[in-house]
Amino acid sequence: MERYVREVLQPKLQADGGWVEYVSFEFNTLKLIFRGECSKCLILDRCIEWIKSEVKRDMGFDIDVESERKKPYFWDK
Amino acid sequence: MAHIKVKRRGMSADEWNMLRFGWLKRYIYAEKFEIENIKIRDARQISEMQYDFYPDGWRKLKKGDIYFTPDGTAFIEADLIIPEKFRNKKIWFTLKTAAEIIVKCNGKYVGGVDPNRERILLSPYIGNETALHFEMEGYNRSKPDDERNPESLSVRGCRQVFEGAYIATVNENLQSLVYDLELLLDINQSESFDEDYRHFLTKEINNLLNFIDFDDLCDEDVIRASEYLNDVIYANKSYKGNGKVSLIGHSHLDIAYYWRRVHSVQKNLRTVLIQMRLMDRYSDFKYTHSQPFTYETLEKYYPDVFEELKGKIASGQFEPVGAMYVEPDCNIPSAESLIRQCLYGQLYYRKKFGKTVDNAWLPDVFGNSWILPQILKKSGVKYFVSNKMSTWNDTNRFPHNNFIWRGIDKSEVYACVPPTHFITWNYPSQIQENWEAFQEKNSADSTMQMFGYGDGGSGVTEEMIELMHRFEKVSAMPQTEHVTAAEYLRKNFDGNEKLEVWDGELYLEMHRGTFTTKSEIKRYNRMLEFKIREAEIVSTLRHLKGADYPYDELREIYKKLLINQFHDILPGSHINPVYKDAMADYTDIDERLDKILGHGEKYFNSLNFKRNHLAFIPDEENGHSIRKEEKGNWVIPNLGPLSSGEIPWKTFAGSWCEIADCVTTPFYKIKFNDDASIESIYDLELDREWTAGEFNKLKLYRDFPGVYDAWDISANYKEKEVEYKVISPLKTIENNSEVASFEAIIATEKSKWKRIVRVFRQSRGIEVENIVDWHEKHVLAKAQFDCNILTRDAVCDTSAGFIERPTRKNNPWQKARFEMCHHKWFDLSETDAGIAVINESKYGVSFDSNSAGLSLLRSSERPDCESDMGHHVFSYLIYPHKGDFIKAEINNIAYEYNIPLRKADLSCENSFGELFMQTMKISEDKKMIVVRLSEQNGRRGKIKLAGKVKVLNLLEDIIDETETIEYSPFEIITIGINVQ
Repeated sequence: MERYVREVLQPKLQADGGWVEYVSFEFNTLKLIFRGECSKCLILDRCIEWIKSEVKRDMGFDIDVESERKKPYFWDK
Repeated sequence: MAHIKVKRRGMSADEWNMLRFGWLKRYIYAEKFEIENIKIRDARQISEMQYDFYPDGWRKLKKGDIYFTPDGTAFIEADLIIPEKFRNKKIWFTLKTAAEIIVKCNGKYVGGVDPNRERILLSPYIGNETALHFEMEGYNRSKPDDERNPESLSVRGCRQVFEGAYIATVNENLQSLVYDLELLLDINQSESFDEDYRHFLTKEINNLLNFIDFDDLCDEDVIRASEYLNDVIYANKSYKGNGKVSLIGHSHLDIAYYWRRVHSVQKNLRTVLIQMRLMDRYSDFKYTHSQPFTYETLEKYYPDVFEELKGKIASGQFEPVGAMYVEPDCNIPSAESLIRQCLYGQLYYRKKFGKTVDNAWLPDVFGNSWILPQILKKSGVKYFVSNKMSTWNDTNRFPHNNFIWRGIDKSEVYACVPPTHFITWNYPSQIQENWEAFQEKNSADSTMQMFGYGDGGSGVTEEMIELMHRFEKVSAMPQTEHVTAAEYLRKNFDGNEKLEVWDGELYLEMHRGTFTTKSEIKRYNRMLEFKIREAEIVSTLRHLKGADYPYDELREIYKKLLINQFHDILPGSHINPVYKDAMADYTDIDERLDKILGHGEKYFNSLNFKRNHLAFIPDEENGHSIRKEEKGNWVIPNLGPLSSGEIPWKTFAGSWCEIADCVTTPFYKIKFNDDASIESIYDLELDREWTAGEFNKLKLYRDFPGVYDAWDISANYKEKEVEYKVISPLKTIENNSEVASFEAIIATEKSKWKRIVRVFRQSRGIEVENIVDWHEKHVLAKAQFDCNILTRDAVCDTSAGFIERPTRKNNPWQKARFEMCHHKWFDLSETDAGIAVINESKYGVSFDSNSAGLSLLRSSERPDCESDMGHHVFSYLIYPHKGDFIKAEINNIAYEYNIPLRKADLSCENSFGELFMQTMKISEDKKMIVVRLSEQNGRRGKIKLAGKVKVLNLLEDIIDETETIEYSPFEIITIGINVQ
């Protein structure tokens, strides 16, 4: 899962100015940190749903996603 | 007595007007018909025209569905039979979207939709056809921090809701009234306009809107309101505007930024299409588009559209501008790179459109080197255009908008720095603000205003043109005219004797971090600039011996290097995938240049002066030293100019370096500190001390410049430092017959920094190698040099001459220059001696009195969260010297330091005396050897040649013949010698 996040998901989000980092995958829950543009995205929930569907298609099982946003200091208001 | 500010809670007259204006816009479409037969397929773009398709294949797309994916391109197809009631009417395609979508209908490119425009006129392109087939290619990568169109802010993000696609007819009378009101409401809300006129508008717009029954809107009401508008509002000429503003349609297109270069191909296509479709509708509309590279991609990937574009260019509606191949950074590229930007840009324009463009179009670049005027002038450029200094300076107001820019060599070009941003949407308030800010009101006919959305392209909208057509009706506005760039520049500059002169660099008081951000990009760019120089010289000399010259390969490689000098690539202000693309390009360029350079038995000196300063020659088998993780030997090459020979390494038998509390060499007695900083350098030859405080001290500063994180350095960065520990104090790691090396390792919580200091038997240089694992955030690393030197000016290399810069902070102009761009070296000198610091790829430097700070690394987070993280290896050379920097040959030493010796069995008889041979190549027409010489020491003189040569401009046009090269300070001279 870590490799999937790093090699499949992350490049796609990076290309839109976003950033995702793997934290853990336990009990079918994928924990992710979102940085960059993702950290302030108003519709990140849609992206998380997309991540679930990508995992389902590519890896064949359902997951939950727990997300944490890490904003850079200048957006941390 | 307490004062209580009363806040109005009821609706103001202006708010009531705005509310009803919003209601009015709801009725723009007279009829709409939803296109229901739509399918979509997701993909990811992997090269300019290649896509990696998602396995899901096509799926139905319905209103309310989520569409687009991160880094996704969506292909959408739709089919429709035009309903009877729409036939024989002017029909539009509408799709409200946050994405950028190119639309084809029945095989014809009909335009584009994006956050700034939602409809495309279909009728002229479909004839009498009733069955419509739409093919669309869209991507969802609008610039995420673009707050210029507030309506697009709410729809950012990778996953969007599809709001449906329609064909529609437009209620044209109402649409026209909407444009009228848009114009007047902007004036009404702008404090730049006369207060009484604004009150007049508040009242009369209210009266106008009272004609409309919003419960039962009918065309008669709209016509009556429009009549009132003409008879009462436009007819009022009591309020007089001042000035004149020239309006130029333009779209700024970053070829890489928050998107990769491959995506700019379609961004450009969409932009060109949208503008051409507007030209189809508005015969008076003109549009200005820059960067030959973008035309080249259109020609290569969309030849049909390119053919149509050529027609628009021939008719004068579509204006190619910008002599440079891309809009490059103009601080960091070398003189030769800037020349090639012009050469390859102009040659493309000449070949494809039969014209030499006489302007440099650089609206967004982050400051401009003093060497530019000469390069531009000799490349057929009369006019320089750049907006940045008027709108982005953080401290001082740049004192001109239209002026003459005098370069380092005294060459002059006309310069236009328009008062407002290069992205505007043609609102009266923006036009008025431009005129108010214009500083040449008394010496110019008008001020330049660019209009059109940009950064990611797209440009002018129908709305902007419609507003423009109404400006002359409003007497309170400045007079306006819609012109091409060429029309504006000729009218306002040619023969204008009132223009003042700016003699100096065009320093931007912002984006000072871009000299340092993404240090690997800077390192590669410098290294490859010199490597491609050598590849051309070697290829030319081999060609003279009968070998084929790799024309196409060298040109292709050069263009790849030039593309990566774009002003959001080389400066480091881009997302992570752009960085990866650049690294892949550099690796490819490096490998291809290695193939061209080939091999030889002997070492070749590509410099046209004798190499007589100590150099490191890699030698894996017999190397006695290690530098940058490579074995080799320190040797004085003693190779004549443009010649090849053996470089034997001889062991020096005697003792030359005494290591005790101090390190004593033939030149110095040096006292080091544990962290590899230097407490004292006592010069034994000159009998003087060189240090006066912290010298070669690594400083890690907290740097929080704000949202322009990769671009800027905060003015107060020195206020807080990051502490580090010495985890391995300075120790001797090498002491052989040529070099003694000392190593210290320091560390913060996150980073580790190895510093190796080398002193030499045969050189006054003191080299500092840095091997860094860098994992800081918002930290600026500098090497500090407090010098025992009394000087008020630092001297900095520009790559084609030197520039003197005050080290004092007496006034706001000097204070604002707290970080500057230099090239290979800087020097602080007294009359008879000084210290130079020579770098391999570090461009940022700061001066304060007798101190200098060489910027080494940054660690910004936006736009790339991982910018500059990881492993770095770089060196610099501290060079105390007697005499001034010219007598000490600092420039030559810097060239030797930057250009590694390679093996090639070649030689050349001519060395061209005291000028630096910047280039030797075969001309683009394959008829001449082109030699470019650059005077870099501020001298004047003559070189007598053996025979006649052609004198060329930088475009390789023959302009004269001569047997004597007569040169003046900082002059760049190009000669052509016929290939026998």
